Amino acid sequence: MKIMIVDDEAAIREALGRKLMRENFQVVLCKDGLEALRMFHVERPDLVILDIVMPDGMDGLTVCRRIREMSDTPILMLSANAVTEDDIIQGLNAGADEYLTKPVRLNEFVARIQALLRRATIAVVELEQHYNDGFLNVDLHRRHVYVNGRKIHLTPTEFKLLAVLMENAGRVVNQRDLLEQVWGKEYIDDVYYPRVYISQLRRKIERDPGNPAYVLTEHRIGYRFEKQPQTVPKAN
Amino acid sequence: MSSENALTLIVNGLTLALSLSFLIILFWYDARREITHFFAAFLSLVILWNLGSLLAQSLALIGPLSATVLIPLFILELGFTGSSVALYALIAAQVKLFTRRFRLLVLLALALLVIYRIVLYASGAPAPFAVDETGSLRMQERGPLLLFYLVFNGASLYLIWRFQRKIRVRLLMLGLVLFIIGQSIGFLNPQLQTFALTTMLCSASALLIGLGVIQQEIINPLSDRKSAVEALRQVITSTANQSDIDPILSELARQSAALLEADGAAIFLRDEGQLTLRTTYELPTEHELPTRPLSHGVAGAVATSGQIIQLDDYARDWRGQSDFSFARTFFGSVVCAPLVAGGDPIGAMLVVASRQGKLFDREDTYLLQLLAAQAAVAITQSRLFSEQTQLTEQIVQSRNQLETIVASTESPVIAVDRSFRLLIANPAAQALFPAGSPPAHDAVIADLLPASAFPANLRRAFREIRRAHALTYEATVGERIFLCHVASLGQQRMEGWVAVLNDITQLKELDRLKSEMVRMTSHDLKNPLQAAMANLDLLREDVYDSAGADVQHSIDVVDRQLQRMNRIIRGILDLERVREGTLTLSPCEPAQIVRDAIADLNEYAREHGISLTATASDDLPTVYCDQEQFKRALVNLIENAIKFTAADGRVEVSATQQGPEILFTVSDTGVGMSAEVQERIFDRFFRGKQRGVEHVSGSGLGLSLVKAVATNHSGRVWAESQEGKGTRFFITLPCAPVIS
Repeated sequence: MKIMIVDDEAAIREALGRKLMRENFQVVLCKDGLEALRMFHVERPDLVILDIVMPDGMDGLTVCRRIREMSDTPILMLSANAVTEDDIIQGLNAGADEYLTKPVRLNEFVARIQALLRRATIAVVELEQHYNDGFLNVDLHRRHVYVNGRKIHLTPTEFKLLAVLMENAGRVVNQRDLLEQVWGKEYIDDVYYPRVYISQLRRKIERDPGNPAYVLTEHRIGYRFEKQPQTVPKAN
Repeated sequence: MSSENALTLIVNGLTLALSLSFLIILFWYDARREITHFFAAFLSLVILWNLGSLLAQSLALIGPLSATVLIPLFILELGFTGSSVALYALIAAQVKLFTRRFRLLVLLALALLVIYRIVLYASGAPAPFAVDETGSLRMQERGPLLLFYLVFNGASLYLIWRFQRKIRVRLLMLGLVLFIIGQSIGFLNPQLQTFALTTMLCSASALLIGLGVIQQEIINPLSDRKSAVEALRQVITSTANQSDIDPILSELARQSAALLEADGAAIFLRDEGQLTLRTTYELPTEHELPTRPLSHGVAGAVATSGQIIQLDDYARDWRGQSDFSFARTFFGSVVCAPLVAGGDPIGAMLVVASRQGKLFDREDTYLLQLLAAQAAVAITQSRLFSEQTQLTEQIVQSRNQLETIVASTESPVIAVDRSFRLLIANPAAQALFPAGSPPAHDAVIADLLPASAFPANLRRAFREIRRAHALTYEATVGERIFLCHVASLGQQRMEGWVAVLNDITQLKELDRLKSEMVRMTSHDLKNPLQAAMANLDLLREDVYDSAGADVQHSIDVVDRQLQRMNRIIRGILDLERVREGTLTLSPCEPAQIVRDAIADLNEYAREHGISLTATASDDLPTVYCDQEQFKRALVNLIENAIKFTAADGRVEVSATQQGPEILFTVSDTGVGMSAEVQERIFDRFFRGKQRGVEHVSGSGLGLSLVKAVATNHSGRVWAESQEGKGTRFFITLPCAPVIS
């Protein structure tokens, strides 16, 4: 497994790199956003660890978006900048799968990386499900999602979230279960993850994200996937 | 009868008739006057004298002289001697020497003389008067009468000389002297035939005396009264035109001296237990003390007692201290009247005559009392006036000051009445109003300022003003932010509101910059912290197990300190976030909040061996709060309680309704706090130094955050604690309004 660490602080990226190497990962270290993008093409890492505040014009959020334009590679943001939930949500919205605030202990850091990789690799291969109502068309096995006839791109986390919800279509999945199933046991208290990803998902698959039909919120409990009646796809 | 005698008779008759008419006038004017009585007695005796002489002369002319002529001659003698006595009595009355003792003496002398006369008569001594055939009267025997004459006329002359100041009417003086001279002529040698002249002179004197008495008793007082009225009028006019007290007093002194024909005057006023000489007229005062004790001198006595004092001779009659150093040498007659205002003497008015000057009489005291009354009125009026003027000046001055302050203050000040119409708006406030002319006085304030300038919840704002009489809120006008302090106008009844706006735009900006800086600094600290922690973790993996105890200890210490640093930084950032105050309000169930908070800390409590329990009914009213923030506050309180409670202790969390609020309570059986600690626990970075918990770590920010959260939610937070027994923390949240 190859992991790319992007951080302008040499002391941090070297320490994190050493730890990951001990855990038998291959490590690529980058000191800024431009180098990160270049190295991403060259090295094709399995996971990217991104600092947000970086010099030379390209911050972590931009790097994240640029990577997302071409790849589903899991991205973990590691930032000192998180003050409010909004900051975290902003990072997740940019396409990150995970947001950790500095300082983080190395053991936890490694555990999160492993969970993230697990999520991305195991994926949902065992799921054999297909849904098509004419507007939304999901092939869980092939990881294909079409909305109104157009293929859309979901990140691994978004995809896994959709898969878990669809698996339980018509039933409420409570937050903790959702967190455990999608992100892993370690994330059970990070209640804002589902919130961010649900809204992200709605933006991608709902006709009207402000008034969702597929992914419904059960206040204080969790979320529920509701199948819709068959419609004739409209050309856009 | 000789023509000379006849002429005498006619002249005498006429003069006496005139005198009689004067007497009638006097009686008609005032029958009770002593002087009138004495004048009447005197005049009757003079008439008796003339009657006697008339009868004797008539008898002599009618026929040969017989014994019957003795009767008129006796009447004549009675009149002649009697008038001497009456003259003396008249003068004595005039100079007011007619005391009771004196009257007794006179009566005694009279009795002795009558006895003497009777004895003379009984011894057959010849009658003192005789008349011849021609009707000429003569005093043939002077002896018996001489004694009367010498005693009474002598005494009269002495009195006139001694008390000449008391006989002010020249005519009276002339009459009195002329009468004595007339009688003296009678005692000349009978051969000179001068008795007719005596009779004539004395009749004329009686006329003069009558005139004099009339002038003294009627004419002078009348003219005096006229001038008194005139003087009073002048005094009143001059005092009415003046508001300053000193010119009034000098005018009063001048007027009273002039009115009483005095040589000087002075006015004293009582002033805080002292007597102050306020003004003098024609009195040298260079060497006089302006203030003296209250009981000093005649003026002091009068100003203390409120009674008028009149002295004929200051040096002789006044036994107390002198009013002036020169008073005993120069003062003759003195009148001093109290100045009375509102029943209390406020001063005294002293009028003096020099030793050779006038002797003040009752009329003068009466006049001075009038003037004094007027003076008191003028003084009171002037004092009131000056007080009022002063008061008005003060009011105007303070109003001006206030206006200047209000106008010059850079903070906008706005006052409105009960119907929100503008009362006052200083220039700074007017600058906030829409551009254009200054706003009309009664413009409605809502038309002048944007909605953002008023409290968001008006009903709540009014309730707050009613409760606390003041309200502070943040108002935004344009790009400027103000801290607006509103207070009610009016003492008893509410007349409106006044608002003072303090521009806190810059403060806000500074606060924002500060927060920004705190945030930046904290972030900048996080990177080194991350590097240090990561390397420490690596180091621990590399050497910890194989290292000696010292190295292990060092690694542990570094680790703990790094964690502590991390907590502090996180605490600062959390607090900053809460203090920024952006709340995401949503309806929350108090019981749910408690449950959530407990759930977060169950594990922590177990680790510490603390039993953590919660009591909160599901029926509690909903509250509006930022769930995340409020839970955080509650968690901080519980965490704190667990930290400061020894193993096997209890921490209880509860939520109950208390009126319009939900009261959250976190109580523990921990170490408790001293009163001093309690006062400061909510201060940033304050950490109590309780015994036995030195090992407890913390940033000193947890409770500040609790307080900030409570404040953000319009709630309150406080603590009750007993050292060694435990602590109870309370935090309140207002219930959400019930929507029916």
